[in-house]
Amino acid sequence: MAQKIEQNTTVITTPQVAKITRNNAALELRRARRSLLKARWPILAIIILSVMFFLALFGPQIAPKDPNRQTLILRLQAPMTPNAEGVVDFPLGTDALGRDVLSRVIYGARISLFVGMASVVIGGFIGTTAGIVSGYLGGRVDDIIMRLADIQLAFPFILLTIMVLVVLGTGVLNLIVVLGVSQWVTYARIARAQTIAQREREYVEAARSAGARDWHIMALTILPNILAPLIVIASFNVASVILAEASLSFLGLGVPPTVPTWGGILAESRDQLLGGSWWLAVFPGMAIMLTVLSLNILGDWLRDFLDPRLRRG
Amino acid sequence: MTRRTRFILLFIVLLLAATTLVVSAQTPDESTLIIAQSVDVGALEPALVGSRAESNIFNHLYGTLFEISDSGTLDPYLATSYTISEDGTEWTFTLNEGLTCHDGEALTADDVVYSFQRAADPANAFTGNTAGFVFPSVGYVDARVDGDLEATIITDRAQSEPLRLGLLSEVYIHCQDYYSSITLEEAADSPVGSGPYRFVEWVRDDYVLIEKVPDYTLLPAGFDQIYWRVIPEASTRVAELIAGNVDIIANVPPDQVAAVENSGTAAVQAVSGTRRMYVGFQFGEAFADAPGYDAIQNTDVRVAMQYAVDVATICTTLLGTECDRATSMVNPPNNNTALAPYPFDPVEAERLLDEAGFPRGDNGVRFEITLQGPRGRYLNDANVVQAIGQYLTDVGVQTTVEILDWSSDYLPRVREKNIGPLFFLGSGGSTWSALYDMADLSAPDAGTNYTNWLNEEWFTLWDSTAGLDSEAERVVVDEMLEVFYNDPPWLLLYFQPDFYGVSNRIDWQARRDEQIVVYSATVK
Amino acid sequence: MGSYIARRLLQSIVVLLGVTLLSFLTLHLAGDPTYLYVSERASEQEIIETRQKLGFDRPLPVQYFDFLGRLVQGDLGTSLRARQPALELVLERLPATLELTFFAMIFSTILALPIGIISATRRGTPLDGGIMLFAMIGQSIPGFWLGIMLILSVGLGLRWLPISGHIPVLQPALDGDFSTAISNIPNAFLHLILPGITVGVFSLARNARLVRSSMLEVLSQDYIVTARAKGLSEWRVIIRHAFRNALLPVVTILGLEFGFLLSGVVVAETVFSWPGVGRLVFNAINQRDIPLVQAAVVLFSLLFIMLNLIVDLLYAQLDPRIRLR
Repeated sequence: MAQKIEQNTTVITTPQVAKITRNNAALELRRARRSLLKARWPILAIIILSVMFFLALFGPQIAPKDPNRQTLILRLQAPMTPNAEGVVDFPLGTDALGRDVLSRVIYGARISLFVGMASVVIGGFIGTTAGIVSGYLGGRVDDIIMRLADIQLAFPFILLTIMVLVVLGTGVLNLIVVLGVSQWVTYARIARAQTIAQREREYVEAARSAGARDWHIMALTILPNILAPLIVIASFNVASVILAEASLSFLGLGVPPTVPTWGGILAESRDQLLGGSWWLAVFPGMAIMLTVLSLNILGDWLRDFLDPRLRRG
Repeated sequence: MTRRTRFILLFIVLLLAATTLVVSAQTPDESTLIIAQSVDVGALEPALVGSRAESNIFNHLYGTLFEISDSGTLDPYLATSYTISEDGTEWTFTLNEGLTCHDGEALTADDVVYSFQRAADPANAFTGNTAGFVFPSVGYVDARVDGDLEATIITDRAQSEPLRLGLLSEVYIHCQDYYSSITLEEAADSPVGSGPYRFVEWVRDDYVLIEKVPDYTLLPAGFDQIYWRVIPEASTRVAELIAGNVDIIANVPPDQVAAVENSGTAAVQAVSGTRRMYVGFQFGEAFADAPGYDAIQNTDVRVAMQYAVDVATICTTLLGTECDRATSMVNPPNNNTALAPYPFDPVEAERLLDEAGFPRGDNGVRFEITLQGPRGRYLNDANVVQAIGQYLTDVGVQTTVEILDWSSDYLPRVREKNIGPLFFLGSGGSTWSALYDMADLSAPDAGTNYTNWLNEEWFTLWDSTAGLDSEAERVVVDEMLEVFYNDPPWLLLYFQPDFYGVSNRIDWQARRDEQIVVYSATVK
Repeated sequence: MGSYIARRLLQSIVVLLGVTLLSFLTLHLAGDPTYLYVSERASEQEIIETRQKLGFDRPLPVQYFDFLGRLVQGDLGTSLRARQPALELVLERLPATLELTFFAMIFSTILALPIGIISATRRGTPLDGGIMLFAMIGQSIPGFWLGIMLILSVGLGLRWLPISGHIPVLQPALDGDFSTAISNIPNAFLHLILPGITVGVFSLARNARLVRSSMLEVLSQDYIVTARAKGLSEWRVIIRHAFRNALLPVVTILGLEFGFLLSGVVVAETVFSWPGVGRLVFNAINQRDIPLVQAAVVLFSLLFIMLNLIVDLLYAQLDPRIRLR
């Protein structure tokens, strides 16, 4: 769902944005802290995301059970059901194969966040590189890259994704690559616009006259100055990739069911809904919603924070 | 309450009333039956019918020579009788008098012969059940007109009588004048058949509408109109059934059965289907380097693994019903009743694996192996495959489960026999012939011998079944099934149960062979 | 203006070529799909013959240029599975998808404007907070999930709206049967609501937030401050001055929106049994029905390109600062 992020470009691509990062990092940090404290919601978002990352990193240590261990006769137990000894074995219940939902949701954080972040890194890398090169060199190269971007945009994202996953097969790696590649245009367009704005600036001129090579200027001089808006986009993109993964799981094109992901667990739960097994949907659904919500709140705050026009008092 | 809020309230009430009116107007009336299937037909071309969803509709549109009844008997339909030539290769069918196709054209032996020849014509490149399965299975050569009402089907071999009759009864009969006057493209969306219902309208991926042919005498027809709707998502199908907008749905997910039962508007009919579900052991040498391949070449290991899987629990939990464990690939009642199903006995499984020379290693693992399975093809398939993997792992056969998408990934692998070393598969069976069920393994190189099984005894016996009378055939069949049981190429599982959701307003009985046949369905 | 459009059209051809090449290569990546079009028990010889018949035995460049050659003549080939002209199949299903997409588009745009404006003018109030929280949640629910929940709650539980299915309006209208089209409208509308919400809710939430932030930006501009100082009523300021500018970012993304909504359509069409192109293409991809997929890709790209051209022209109308180059 690469296109959905496009909206942010209109708000962010002001030349002012890039200036900010250059000016006095310490001051900025202080301002960030003040702004965070004032806005409050972003703090909650950061806390939630930290918890999710913690779960993702230390999942194997935290999860009470093997997420793939089945016990068929204990299937579809409601949360907090005590066993014969009165002990609760499965705090969040069990799924259709008698696997521990809690452990699956914890392990799910790993794959879901990994897929989200890895594909954003891939898309961000390709897009930023293409955008800077395009904006800095201009001319023929610029034309070709921008035509490629047009092609990508005119090709409905969902068709391309389905095509690639059907033809190459599903799996974590293919998923990451296809979700990553499909969002490069967003980054490329922003990076290009920003680079064009920076290209003729004094500090770039200075680097050039000092004899720096082109790639050196692009990577070390321009890139740090245009990073801010790209980071904002990236935070929104992680959220949309997590949602895309869920939709693809529904279409049977997500990660194989032997690998627990939030989207996968949620998609599998749909056959149990009418049977009343709400916990199969609620917990992974909450995990997705909280994460996406937090990323969006954080992205919003970052954007407001980095865009001086919206700054108030 | 101000005047404005009152007005808004009134507006909302009116809107709700209107919606309720419209929604209730949707429910089916006395003369209309609505059936929901998960996939649409690909083309309305009788020679391209391949899927069950397609044959369900075509069985109502087109007549066949004989009819396979609910109980597995083969009854006269368009044909009244048949004779078999001395050497068993030529079958001559005698048709009913006064038959017509839906456009009024008289249906005679010419048309029967045309139906066979059209399906076989390589220029048409038909890939449906007739050209792709029936013809190679009977060794079809040609068809010939022997009289106004006598049509002869010529084959290259003799064959078990019910097997051939059943196979030939899968060929849809249509009229020559109409079909020879239109292009293939035109034929694909404007069928003219010979059955109790005729085609009215097809809105792709939405519905096919058929209506009763007046004064059709060969078969009964209850409802005036039948809608075959397409609803891909199972939850949506169930919701429509419970809401009373649909009368029959197939494949109710086991965990939604209770919801249907408790709805008060519909009930679930569970039937023991004829589809044989199994885990295949791959013998093909393409897998020689795969982990576990060597182990499963050992007959004792394959027998031991039969004891490791708790089929009964898989059925009651994942399929929501009791089921009989298969003793072979043959559906009851045509199976070898002397054979007892392998019981679930993990201790015995471990003992046999020890004896076969595969003791548990230090890590508790005897050997590693990959089990592949499809998703979205069979009842609860992905979960069943994962459960089997767990059971095998429990006895020390460390199993990695790979779930693949059915149509884009799994099916092509199956076709190329490029699957395994363990793979989960179902194969459609019959109620009317043991040999039909066994035809999966009709020759070592048969397209459906997916495991590449090479048991000489079995294939020698298979070749000896041609032309036997039913008693002698029974003896050979029982002997073959014992061979199969003792040198199993399959990890035997179950005959897939089928769940049909049926509205309480209609009277209809589900069949075992996955066919939805509704001629005789009526309003209660 | 004229030369601008001409240049854009020329670019569009390049884009179209790229899109077809990309999908062509992707579809052929894993070998040819012959096996899907022979029966289970086909012999090696039959497979070879079928491959020849389908034309998959030719080198890829030959197949691609053959495709292009026919494309120029408006022939997009015959669907392998349905044995019907591929273009016809797609066109036949397009009205249903367009109805759903445009309904979702209109619903998400028209509702977003008042919601965003109210939220912006009440900035910081609980109302604003509530709306924004709702918008955030709307942006974090997977579409298939929302669809199933709507079916179970509104469709099955409350019985307020139809659960699934499609009543055609556009198709009969295109066929010239206006009386059917008009009499179908009320029922068609009811059938559109649940799938429309499923497809459009993400965009609604996103657009509402977009309108809000651009409203906030506009409201702080000098000319608004001036207008207020002149003593114009608050609503007058908002409608006359701010509204037009708040519309800009929404218009910008309308073009891209179409492509995005389309992603939601594939899922919604499956959940709601909606006979549109999304499902057609999804099934076609699964069956490697290459001509059919290509036809859909070409058609969608054309729609997308045209829509974006229109949006750009519209944008220039709305914002005089922008000159078409």
